[in-house]
Amino acid sequence: MKDENQGQKTPQIKVGWMGYVAFILAVLMFSGLFSSSDGWLRALDFNTLNGSFGTIQSTAEKALNFRGAGGSGAKDGFIFAITLMPAVILALGIINVVDGLGGMRAAQRLMSPILKPLLGIPGVATLACIANMQSTDAAAGMIKELYDKGEMTDEERSVTIAYQTSASATITNYFSSGAAVFGIMVAPIILPLIVMFAFKIIGANIMRMYLKAVYRKQAKGGK
Amino acid sequence: MADAQNTAPVQEQKKNVLDLFVEGARKGFDIGTRSLMPNVIMAFVIIRVLDVTGLLKIIGNVCAPVMALFGLPGEAAMVIVASIMSMGGAIGVAMSIFSEGIIDPVQLTTLVPGIYLMGNPVQNIGRCLGISGVNTKHYAMILLICLINTLASIWVMRLLVTLFF
Repeated sequence: MKDENQGQKTPQIKVGWMGYVAFILAVLMFSGLFSSSDGWLRALDFNTLNGSFGTIQSTAEKALNFRGAGGSGAKDGFIFAITLMPAVILALGIINVVDGLGGMRAAQRLMSPILKPLLGIPGVATLACIANMQSTDAAAGMIKELYDKGEMTDEERSVTIAYQTSASATITNYFSSGAAVFGIMVAPIILPLIVMFAFKIIGANIMRMYLKAVYRKQAKGGK
Repeated sequence: MADAQNTAPVQEQKKNVLDLFVEGARKGFDIGTRSLMPNVIMAFVIIRVLDVTGLLKIIGNVCAPVMALFGLPGEAAMVIVASIMSMGGAIGVAMSIFSEGIIDPVQLTTLVPGIYLMGNPVQNIGRCLGISGVNTKHYAMILLICLINTLASIWVMRLLVTLFF
């Protein structure tokens, strides 16, 4: 009975081969794997595609880009923000293509079986955790619905929300404001993303242990 | 829930790759102009105020011992404080102290995941905790986990960056 319910309520994520190709290409592009390779493979590197601003030769020191040197305050912030914008525009363009080709669904398909055992939550809740990659509110709304329908317990909800709150809407946020630092980071673009997912899972498990401790104490205290 | 899943494939057939890219790039432009730029300007002005008033140096000195544990100068505490209120603002503050030469690219890199792991709890109390209806008894623990994640991620990033890059 329970299995039947789950079957109905967990919409099957359909992913074509194109989705997997798009997903793998996105991972490669943001991995920085091809940043230093020669030839056509460099076209698969985000920072190569992002390119660089031209420089202006100055007589005294090294060549400057149009931001110049020694600015301050709002004016410097304005010009600086302009230098950051191409990365954000490019990153969201790429992400939208990947999403449109089904790459995001491929990521969901791959993550679902990993999340369930790592978080110790019901299978239906993993779908909300996956929605959490892109949206804070939608994912939290899904959890409320699942709880109201009695498909997860209060503790399971707390664990799931501990996962969702830290680095919520991970991909959306990282590839929008985070794209600003892509050109300066010394590590591959994908590394912070991996670290974030790892800590989301660690955080949820801290919550799990905390709840276990609390309820054990309550059970003892109650008697 | 089911609707959200079903709408995507329909869009997919209508738009080609170029349309998709331009649509995303437009979103990027909107975020860049409507979110990134105002946030960066705000951060630059705040850092400017702190700099001119001498507060930045005081904050730097006061937070130096704690931040030293994370291989960061005291001023970097501003990034973590900003991330409590706004992720974009925190990125702006990080960029601002980076462009002042207070942190180097390695230190900037180690701060990045933490900004998102903190993830603006001021908003998340309403958006994530509130919407899901999670037991209010657990709010403090969930927010504490965000902080733990943030601080621990700086160490992990430091380790990864020094080992591999």
